[in-house]
Amino acid sequence: MLPAIAPGDWLLVDPTTRDWPRRGSVVVVREPDSGDLAIKRVAAGPGDRVPFADGYLILAEDEAWLLADADEETARDAGFGEPIDSRRYGPVPLDLLVGRAWFRYGPLRRFGPIRHR
Amino acid sequence: MSRFSRWLAPTTVVRAHCDLPCGVYDPEQARIEAESVFRIQEKYQGNEDPVYRARAIHIKEERADLVKEHLDVLWHDYFKPEHLEAVPNLHELFWSATKAASKAKASVDPADGKALLAAIDDIDAAWKKTGGAEKTRVAGRPG
Repeated sequence: MLPAIAPGDWLLVDPTTRDWPRRGSVVVVREPDSGDLAIKRVAAGPGDRVPFADGYLILAEDEAWLLADADEETARDAGFGEPIDSRRYGPVPLDLLVGRAWFRYGPLRRFGPIRHR
Repeated sequence: MSRFSRWLAPTTVVRAHCDLPCGVYDPEQARIEAESVFRIQEKYQGNEDPVYRARAIHIKEERADLVKEHLDVLWHDYFKPEHLEAVPNLHELFWSATKAASKAKASVDPADGKALLAAIDDIDAAWKKTGGAEKTRVAGRPG
């Protein structure tokens, strides 16, 4: 999720779900495959169309499409494989979203709000 | 860390992970398992002992599953969309190779094992054509 979120960032996460998933916000999610807590960006929300395979799919009312900020190339150049996100596990049920990361309170030199995109 | 910052520090860790593959890919890995499948099929034909035959089938099916796993890893992780230019029939190659693996898994006919080996050789050629031998092995493929 660099440069938006870096390893070791201290984040405040807002668990109230009223206004989201808003496209572009950074969310904490319980990953469908592993059950691990992960941080991703909302690329699309309920009712949106997302490109999938050679066509597109329309997200249901209770689904979001979450992507890592890195594209495949950047991740590969950094020595990682494909990002693990909706491109891997598909649409994410909103139930699995834990909260929106909205503020970074540490380290101090990175102090400030998490920006939307 | 001071007591104060320990108190401030978050207690929950979230990850933004990617895969962390080693970057080493080689169809040889699938081929060695496939050679086992082929040899076991031959040995099965040359031995009437039911216990031996039962073991042979068990081990052969295990090996055939490994072939499929290794092929899948190559397909999903090594090959990238840009490789399709050099090898336009890439998906077909993998489809027929994994089908051949399924067939060899269920069969005790060495001809099926041989067909699987041939299918893996085609994938090996594709891997070489895309520079796999130089790019993915630590010091190129030995030998």
